[in-house]
Amino acid sequence: MHPVAIKASTVVLAVVASMMGTAAVVTYDAGAVRVSVVEKGPKGEHVNVFVPAILVPVALGVIPAKHFHTHDAEARKWLPMLKVVSEELERCPDATLVEVKSPDEHVKIAKRGNAVVIDVDDPGETVHVSFPVGVVRTVIDKLEGGNAGSYPPV
Amino acid sequence: MLFSVFLLAAAATAMAAQADQWIHVRVVSSDSKGETVSVNVPMSFAEKIIPTICADKFHGGKVKFHGDMNDVDLRALFEAIRTTPDNEFVTVKSRDEDVRVAKSGGNLLIHVQEKHGDKHTLGDKVEVKVPLSVVAALLSGNKDELDIAAGIRALSAMGPVELVNVNDNSETVRVWTDTRSSSD
Repeated sequence: MHPVAIKASTVVLAVVASMMGTAAVVTYDAGAVRVSVVEKGPKGEHVNVFVPAILVPVALGVIPAKHFHTHDAEARKWLPMLKVVSEELERCPDATLVEVKSPDEHVKIAKRGNAVVIDVDDPGETVHVSFPVGVVRTVIDKLEGGNAGSYPPV
Repeated sequence: MLFSVFLLAAAATAMAAQADQWIHVRVVSSDSKGETVSVNVPMSFAEKIIPTICADKFHGGKVKFHGDMNDVDLRALFEAIRTTPDNEFVTVKSRDEDVRVAKSGGNLLIHVQEKHGDKHTLGDKVEVKVPLSVVAALLSGNKDELDIAAGIRALSAMGPVELVNVNDNSETVRVWTDTRSSSD
């Protein structure tokens, strides 16, 4: 192969590798939304969903704000509280916030690093959900935008 | 040297004062299912969230009470308790229950012990301990309301407090504050 062609392919490879590396770093930094459902029993299904958190605002961005408008006044009045919850969760140190234990069920909601982790283990299935706190804030901001002016300020 | 020790002591005190308080709720059911529910929330978290809750009679961190309570001047009652030396204010001993309301060490103490008359066995037991500074904060709003947010702020400025202990036949409930993030 011609030396110039070798150099060009090397440069392209380097650019692609650095882009992938940057994407990986950004994805790692933003975290991911993970959902895992494992049904118990011989025919139990396994569902795993992994969505880089960085895609959430992008996905929400393409949905028109009007679709986030809720006509339910009862639901709207909880938006300010949810917004404060999302802000305070970011400041909250790591801890198990809620835990329910019984002989046949174990539910745990915890803050771990910058993520909220929810684990449910019952006789039928094991569910694990984790998402960065920032995702909650993004969703609340979007809901707030879709309902601007329709609920009392805090 | 002495100055350095003083500085270190002052810094340690300041750090201790800034340590975030947590409020814990633990409910342990004693029935066959033996369910345990634990809730651990930083007080700062509660302080910020309570004013945003908008429910039936609960707005802006304050709960309004209507009806019978309007005839009772809670502030005058509290002022009388606050300025009185430590004492037992109410003692009721009956066949069905013992009730005791007292002031001790800056706290309002309420103790209720139910009894099952004929069987001479003990029933539900409730113990509530509320620091008077928290009661003052709760009563700092208008006449017909309790300022829960102010109460939480007053509570978070205090050290660990054992607030509520309920023991009945089916479950135990404990509510307390401390600087630990877990209730284990």
